[in-house]
Amino acid sequence: MKVIVADDSLLMRKIIQNELDELGYKGVGAVNGKKVLEILENDSTDIGLVILDWNMPVMDGLEVVKVLQEDKRFKEIPVLMVSTESEDARINEALKAGAKDYLCKPFTSEEIAEKIIHILK
Amino acid sequence: MNKILLNNCSLKVSQLISQLFKEDKPVISKPLSEIKSLNGFQMVILEECEDPDQSISQIKKIRYLCNFRNISIILFKKQKDKQPIRSYLVAGATEVLYLEDPVPIISQILQGHLIPDRIPSEQEFDILKPFIDNTVLMLKKMAKLDCVCNKDDLYFSSDFNIFGDVSGIIGLSGEAEGTLIITCYWDLAQLIISKMMNVSEDDIDTEVIHDGMGELINMIAGTSKKAFVDTPYHFELSLPTVVMGSGHHIGHPDEVSVVIILFDVADQSFALQVCLKPKNKKKTN
Repeated sequence: MKVIVADDSLLMRKIIQNELDELGYKGVGAVNGKKVLEILENDSTDIGLVILDWNMPVMDGLEVVKVLQEDKRFKEIPVLMVSTESEDARINEALKAGAKDYLCKPFTSEEIAEKIIHILK
Repeated sequence: MNKILLNNCSLKVSQLISQLFKEDKPVISKPLSEIKSLNGFQMVILEECEDPDQSISQIKKIRYLCNFRNISIILFKKQKDKQPIRSYLVAGATEVLYLEDPVPIISQILQGHLIPDRIPSEQEFDILKPFIDNTVLMLKKMAKLDCVCNKDDLYFSSDFNIFGDVSGIIGLSGEAEGTLIITCYWDLAQLIISKMMNVSEDDIDTEVIHDGMGELINMIAGTSKKAFVDTPYHFELSLPTVVMGSGHHIGHPDEVSVVIILFDVADQSFALQVCLKPKNKKKTN
């Protein structure tokens, strides 16, 4: 199973992809929300999860969540938002828009693993 | 009482400094090779070498040993020659003086550099606390590194010359405006990033460090933001920028003070510069 990891930070993509490797999943990197949609349009058959940063250039994470919810082809793919935005209002906004779960940065490797496992169980 | 270090100074300079400070400040003479730490020193004085590059190298080493503490580095030139002083200032010198200058002038300038920087008041410290706590938390969670911030190691900077190899910068705007900057020397940046990625330091390249410094300041600013909701200091973030190169100088908005917060990670340090002012208030933090 593949997991899209969308973050404009190369370091953050590598950290999350390392964790996915540990869990036995293949991470596919995206630098912004637009790239996420391109990947899904190309081939979404094996995509089991999308991990999204919120603040990204070109297209941010919240926009992606909304677009995915409105597209029958991708609506069922769960989204995990991973972001520094930690205000309750922002977290609720993401969940209301359709994100399955939310993880605040900074996080330990155990915390993100737990979130991924919980969603994909 | 803070001390003054004389590094390989001639008898003339040693006598001058001892005469100027007499009983006020302990003056210690030691070569650079015997210095492991500049804790407890307020000023380092050295003389220009025959080879200017050697002086530049010494200044860089002393500045590195300062560990971001605001220790003045004073270089005495023997004569007014054509060697530009700018190269010494870029390397980390605070002031370049001439031995032939009048003693009262030298005394006045040196005394000026010994005036301690203002430290934050309790109220100001409360504003800075979220940045401190979130920096410590970030390193603990993402890099499994313990870092310590001593309350004594916070000071207002008056000259904005914070020397390091790499800085992550993020602009703050909204109810309050300013900047937040993290500055490291290369070794520590490499250590932190490699720990975050759980790889050896040899596996880290410049691109990842560049990106990592941006992400570090993004996380510190992003997690601290929540503490200022519904206060005059609430801010939104820009996208982070990274500057690389030793001796880089970062400017700040006018009429805003900059607080330097030092963090120790084992035997190394990094600095967080906090510059934050509510838009509707003239009072700075």
